[in-house]
Amino acid sequence: MSELRTSSIETRGKPGLKRYAMVIDLRRCIGCDACMTACKAEFDVPLGVFRTWVPYKVVGVYPTVRKHFMPRLCNHCDDPPCVRSCPVGATYKVEDGGFVLQHYDRCIGCKACMASCPYNARFMLPKSRTYTDITHVVDKCTFCHHRVTQGLAPACVVTCIGRARIFGDINDPSSEVSKLVSTLPTQVLRPEEGTKPHVFYIGVDRNLSEPSRAIYNPLDVLEEDRRAFNKNHKG
Amino acid sequence: MGDFNIFHHMPWSSTYSIYFFVIGISSALFFFSMLSWFRQEFEPLRKSAFYVSFALMVVGGLLLIVDLSQPLRFLNMLNPSYLNFTSPLAWGGMNLLSFGAVSAAYYWMMRKNDETDSRRLAVLGSILALGLPVYTGFDLTVHQNRPVWNTPLMPILFVAMSLLSGAAVASFLAGTHEKLLAMLRRFMLWSAGAVGVMLVSLLGTTAYGGVGQELTFMFMTTGTLGTIFIGVGMLLGTAAPIALLLAPFGKQQQGMMIAAVLILVGGMALRYSILVGGQIVQTYF
Ligand code: SF4
Ligand code: SF4
Repeated sequence: MSELRTSSIETRGKPGLKRYAMVIDLRRCIGCDACMTACKAEFDVPLGVFRTWVPYKVVGVYPTVRKHFMPRLCNHCDDPPCVRSCPVGATYKVEDGGFVLQHYDRCIGCKACMASCPYNARFMLPKSRTYTDITHVVDKCTFCHHRVTQGLAPACVVTCIGRARIFGDINDPSSEVSKLVSTLPTQVLRPEEGTKPHVFYIGVDRNLSEPSRAIYNPLDVLEEDRRAFNKNHKG
Repeated sequence: MGDFNIFHHMPWSSTYSIYFFVIGISSALFFFSMLSWFRQEFEPLRKSAFYVSFALMVVGGLLLIVDLSQPLRFLNMLNPSYLNFTSPLAWGGMNLLSFGAVSAAYYWMMRKNDETDSRRLAVLGSILALGLPVYTGFDLTVHQNRPVWNTPLMPILFVAMSLLSGAAVASFLAGTHEKLLAMLRRFMLWSAGAVGVMLVSLLGTTAYGGVGQELTFMFMTTGTLGTIFIGVGMLLGTAAPIALLLAPFGKQQQGMMIAAVLILVGGMALRYSILVGGQIVQTYF
């Protein structure tokens, strides 16, 4: 279960430090999007952007088909490229816990972190919001830092109807996430990027986990939507 | 991916490619102004190249600032306690600022007719000018997840593109000075050759790369982006000027002017397509 540490920022397996992680058991996910909704409510996440999202793909040929879901979020990488690429230290990693967070008042909006995240986990907040005054800077999932530091689980984990999302300290061998990652075959997304993601999937489908497979047979209707989206959302 | 409501856009918009273009020209023009202290044929360029370089540096800096979502916070880049030196952007910001300061001092010394200090500042400024295309290349290279960008070629390619576009602009400033035009023609030819060779090898490694690279190759060689990259950037903006400059007509001023226009159009197209090309595939993830 130990990992090869290649950079001093990595805290997996470091004694005395917590390293939070999430396990997503895709055998249990029913694609209800409750996690997306809970996250939207927890953080007043604006329209058009998501801290967590649940893409799906219909795999197979009728009648032998299955709808695969793969909830996504920031992987709170142990060696996060977003942190090293931010010129002003506005994105940083919390050593005890491994959360990758934002200094909203420091972010200049250069989008270097967005360019360097292999998972599209980051987005630009709109210029104005109704209830929250954090605007026009980069945002992302925080692993619910504010809840976890008070002993609560992240909002998406609490709300998950199938108990597909499990959260805990992977540096603690007795935690549920440690046990799952130790005893079951798990995958992380794009491991070849060297980011050491800390969201582990059980039962992932490669149609969803391989970054480029969506390009093979794009659905016409999706392409139309994509064009409309791109018109309204410029980098 | 399949879910109808989630799409991702490209983080770096085309403003960055315009920045790459103007800052590349600015740095090469400063270099030519520096050469004027050491090579007689470049003397007519000393002031004119410097003025254009300075103006383009200001335009480039403004473009960078305007493209930030919090433009006024560019001041954060000047705060030593914020700067993160694992980011090429931090180095780039410092490079640009120090290039601006040295340029201003260079202007001052030239006005004072202080030849010794002007020369010194010209050399120092040129080293900093070289840093500009190098860091823009690194800006792209460091993103290990981006096909096309993540190759050691990028910084060198940006230096060659900078010299190429800079020599094209300089040829408009050279007037009828034959020796200077001949030198600039050589600069254009060699740097266009270098750009061409690098682009071919970039295409080769992209085509034979992994899935992400292969698909990026597909996007960059077909459709609109293919027209911009291959058609305008490589053929019209690199291969055609080389052919033109090698022909007898290319040795005349008119021929050089036409080649220079093609080089500039191509230079913009190349920077745009390299910037966008590296980002397309991931928008589908
Ligand atoms: S998933 Fe992206 S945003 Fe999250 S830590 Fe990793 S690189 Fe950074
Ligand atoms: S957009 Fe903000 S958080 Fe991201 S790299 Fe730039 S300054 Fe840092």
